[in-house]
Amino acid sequence: MFSAQGFQATWKYIDLFKQGLLCTVLLSALTVFFGFILALFLAIMRLSDVRPFRALGIDENGHAIDGGFKAALAKFNPLDFIATVYVEVFRATPMLVQLFIIYYVVFPGIPLPKFKIFGSIPFDRFIPGVVALAMNSGAYLCEIIRAGIQSIDGGQREAARSLGMTGTQTMRHIILPQAIKNILPPIANEFVTIIKESSICYTIGVQEIMYAVAATKGATYRIAEPLIIATLIYFCLTFPTSKIIAYFERKMSKGDKR
Amino acid sequence: MSESLIKVTDLKKHYNKGKIKALDGISVDINRGDVMVIIGPSGSGKSTFLRSLNLMEQPTSGQIIFDGVDITAKKIRNEAGKMVTLDIDKHRQKMGMVFQHFNLFPHMTILQNMTLAPIQVKHMDKAVAEEKAMKLLDRVGLADRAAAYPIQLSGGQKQRVAIVRALMMEPEVMLFDEPTSALDPEMVGEVLDVMRELANEGMTMVVVTHEMGFAKEVGNRVLFMADGLLVEEGTPDDIFNHPQNARLKEFLSKVLI
Repeated sequence: MFSAQGFQATWKYIDLFKQGLLCTVLLSALTVFFGFILALFLAIMRLSDVRPFRALGIDENGHAIDGGFKAALAKFNPLDFIATVYVEVFRATPMLVQLFIIYYVVFPGIPLPKFKIFGSIPFDRFIPGVVALAMNSGAYLCEIIRAGIQSIDGGQREAARSLGMTGTQTMRHIILPQAIKNILPPIANEFVTIIKESSICYTIGVQEIMYAVAATKGATYRIAEPLIIATLIYFCLTFPTSKIIAYFERKMSKGDKR
Repeated sequence: MSESLIKVTDLKKHYNKGKIKALDGISVDINRGDVMVIIGPSGSGKSTFLRSLNLMEQPTSGQIIFDGVDITAKKIRNEAGKMVTLDIDKHRQKMGMVFQHFNLFPHMTILQNMTLAPIQVKHMDKAVAEEKAMKLLDRVGLADRAAAYPIQLSGGQKQRVAIVRALMMEPEVMLFDEPTSALDPEMVGEVLDVMRELANEGMTMVVVTHEMGFAKEVGNRVLFMADGLLVEEGTPDDIFNHPQNARLKEFLSKVLI
């Protein structure tokens, strides 16, 4: 299975792995960045209170109508609806299918310049990869953020509002600082997942770590040794990421301990 | 007599298309300096009424005139005579509220809990706010806990902090929503002492409580509510020694005084 010669042969292609590492880091970092921004917008949409047909739900005495089509229409929030559909579709379909649809169906219609980032990463494959990963993780991160905000006790909001603080001030000073603390562990999880999931971009020819494995295998006819190296690199990326976030989590939880 | 601070007219709060009537037409005048205690069985609408006063609950109908302004209106006429959207946050600043479960902000120290709203809302200087907070903390005997986090305090201490946090905004009225109901029995006294002191200083207070002793001793008006209605109102002597209504008599026979 393993042999010293095998590692020696693989080591000749270590530059491929270095390029792959750079690509994976870049892919994950951009995915986290854009995925998080997308998730923030989705979460705001899901938590918004935009109800264009609100007036239909009130009868002539000012009472809320109970049940029926009009009451349902009055509760309808189009922003929430769009965001919910987005989240459910992206969570309910395989990542590979999403990636292929974006690369083979959507992006052929969008001309991208053909050049290589750092001389090794093909831009016209890398960008669809980032878009697919970000759109997918945006759906997951949205639900994490929404649940985190909704988990804060309603009394906190009431206390802040009773002191005369506005909705925005309450969100910024009271709700978000507490919510962020609650959502850090699942977000760390999602970041680690993104680093691992980015390996799927190998299927559309993005030259990340798994691409280096395949290339080395083709040249050396060795598979075990390149995989071992890839495993080590992935572990060295994900393990510190979760440790760093765990550190911030501890720092932020000072109000929880006696 | 004294000047009216909050005038409530026919306040109603209905749920389920009027099937549930939490408040079914309450009218009451709260004067400056009043210590109004609201008693009644659970589910009678006491808390809903109190929470409606600063619009934590949006009433279904009725009017609340606070300091001359109808705060239930969506739009009001300003000094220049123009119709403007009512800024409820402005009015809430003048109504301090104390909750059953304290609702201190757990991620901030006691001092930060107290100075946040004055700094953010009133744009008070941080040093000025902190000095003011320390004076208030000293008054309730908690100056040494300024740097502590809420979880480090006992229930009674938390509630005393919650009271002075509301006082930081210099409210014209303090609303107390069962302030001692979540406390261990031995801590009820320390919170009632602070409230009694506040009443003696002339603060207008509306207190929903099950502490009949406090109602008797500190209140100048007692309201008895049942089924969303104001059943009987009077001085503590009227209510406790000469109850008229059968519901009130039954209620008083069940509670320990």
